[in-house]
This record gives sequence, structure tokens and C-alpha cells, in this order.
Amino acid sequence: MGKVRPKKHAPHTDMTAMTDVAFLLLTFFIMTATFKSNDAEITTPTSISQIKVPDDKIMVISIDKSGKVFFGVDAQPTRAAMLENIGQAKGITFTDTEKAKFALQSSFGVPLNQLKPWLNMPKEQMSQVKQPGIPVDSTGASELADWVYAARKADSQLRIALKGDNLSKFPAFKDVLANLQSQNINKFNLITGSEQAPAGYTN
Amino acid sequence: MAAIEESGGGGHGKGDGKVRGKKMSTRVDMTPMVDLGFLLITFFMLATTMSKPTSMSLAVPDKTEDQEKPTEPLKASKVLTLFMGANDDVYYLDGIAADDDKAKTDLKTTRYGFDLRSVIFASQKRINAANPKDEDGNEAFVVVIKPTAVSTYKNMVDVLDEMAITKTKRYALVDNLTDAEKKVLGDKVIPKN
Repeated sequence: MGKVRPKKHAPHTDMTAMTDVAFLLLTFFIMTATFKSNDAEITTPTSISQIKVPDDKIMVISIDKSGKVFFGVDAQPTRAAMLENIGQAKGITFTDTEKAKFALQSSFGVPLNQLKPWLNMPKEQMSQVKQPGIPVDSTGASELADWVYAARKADSQLRIALKGDNLSKFPAFKDVLANLQSQNINKFNLITGSEQAPAGYTN
Repeated sequence: MAAIEESGGGGHGKGDGKVRGKKMSTRVDMTPMVDLGFLLITFFMLATTMSKPTSMSLAVPDKTEDQEKPTEPLKASKVLTLFMGANDDVYYLDGIAADDDKAKTDLKTTRYGFDLRSVIFASQKRINAANPKDEDGNEAFVVVIKPTAVSTYKNMVDVLDEMAITKTKRYALVDNLTDAEKKVLGDKVIPKN
């Protein structure tokens, strides 16, 4: 009796501040998130290079681990123009729906003769189908060369980036190289992950 | 618990004798919202790729260009030849031609990364010390990189990266093996099926 007890506080903590911070972070992450597209799974090797890959005006030739080649251009209008160019060169006419569908594909690996059936598939099926890769051979005049030509015709400012998988064999790369060199493309970027330079390295 | 507290219920005047509804608490339980907020944060944090890929530029010689001035053949004593083998092995010939009789015994094996770097640095030091710079001020040391059918794309990027690290300005990527080299390497570079 007569003991002084501390006044009982209600167990309420003001969470407003925490909530504010949480939602601020949430907003930040939503804004910066870039989602993985349905491209082929490619794990690139790493290099000490500091040059960033440009965001726009770029075409990416990807080589996956089994040596299949995929091709992609960044801007949607360029994709449509590219399809039209290759259609003209090969005597194939594409409908507007096919063009619209093609413009949505960030990267594809379908031979020309299978392109039309592929574009006419329903959307869900399109992403599920196993893409055989664009035909490439060492002669330098395969379909990949046609695509590169069509893309450059659509946008002459396009830079060329090569994205190879760690495990892809060198001959696959050599064939891609032959296709580019046959068109006098002698300078391009190899997309790699970043890596810390070894100790003692100076630029 | 997160809650918004508001003082005062409605803004009714006093004493008008009207029947009022029971005053409801204006505290809103924010717990589910906060839960959802953190769930989304977690998701977006995991889904975000923070490191943007970098790129290394590669320039290859023009194939169609007419060779106006024929380049003089490289002296084997100034060249370090790297053969990219299977399973991340690198075979190398340091300052010796493949058609030399001693090439077979001189062929050494190393691994990518630090080991290869040491090999390049050692060879670079030795060759540059033994040979003067040429008339254009280039160092004498040349690396010839020979990828083989059993090497991977990663191997090639690794070697090109070593060139950047060791600051080797003169290197060549040559993708065909000479007969002498094939003999020296033997079955090391033949794909196994």
C-alpha cells in the first residue's frame, strides 16, 4: 500500500513514422524496378569494364548456353519497321496484327519460315513455345545477317551488343562474328556483368 | 499499433435533442495496410536488379580491307600464345613457336584468373625487357589468343579482360590453329562427344 506505481501507459506505439518510411521505400523500389522480360535465360560473364550498356538504340544478339541465337531491338517502332524490311527482302507480307504482335517481342529466336505461324499463335502459347533460335552459320550470309541488315535499315543509329552465356561454346560466337563481319560491322559491345578489378589495378 | 486518432465525432451542435447514433471509434486499424506495405517492399527489393550490366567494346579487324602494307610476321620470341582449352584450362607457349622442336615440352597449363595474370605479367616483363620498343613506340610484347572449339564464350571474355587488366595493348584473337599447333596440343582441343 502506498507504493508509487508508474502510470500505466497504453500499449500503443505510433507507427505513423515507420509507415511513412516503409511506403517511401516501397515507392522507390516500384519506380526503379525493371522486370525481367521473357528473354532466354542468359548468365553473362563478368569483366572489369566500367562502360555501361546504352539504354536505347541498341540491338542485342544473344547466345544462350546451347548456342541458340536470339535477336532483339529495343524500340517498338523499329521492330515493326525491321519486320517490314525483312518481309520486303524475303517476299513475305505481314499483316498489321502480325506486325503489332511482333513489335511486342523484346527478343525472339524463330527462323523466318516459322515466323508467321509463331506470330499467329495466341499470346500465351507464343511465350511457351520453345524457340529454336535464329539460323546462323559460318558463311556470314545466314538469317541473322538478314535480320541485322533489316534492323540497321530501320534505324541506322543502332548500336550492336552481343550477349553470350557463360557456357556457350566459342564456335557459336565465331559464327555470329562472321555474320557481322560480312556486313562490315567490326566494332561492337560485349555485354558483361560488372566485376571488381583486382587489387593494384589502375586505369 | 498504427492508428489514426481523431478528436471529436461529428460536428453536430449541442442540445438539439435529436437522437444520435452511438459514437463510433474513429481509430482505424492500420496493421493490414502496413503488412501489405512491407510485403510489397520485400517483393520489389528482391525483384529489382541493382547492378546494370556493363559492356566491353571489341573491335575486330576489317576482313574486306585490302592489306596495303603487309604486316611483317611476328617473331615467336616476342609472342605469348594462349590456347583456350576445355574445362577452363589455358595452355600457353611463352616466346616459342609451335613448330619448334621444344614446343611440346614447353607447353604449359594454367588456369584463368590470378594464375593466368601472373603468366602474362611475367612474360610481358621478360619480353619487354629483352626487346626494345619499335619505331612507333609500341612495346614488343604481343599476345596471340587462340580460342578453340572446346572453349566457352566466358573464357574469351576472361582472356580479353586479362588483356585490359595487364594493359596489354597488342593482342590478337585468332580462331584457327595451324597444323603445328594442332600437333602440339594433340587431343586437348578436340571436342568430346
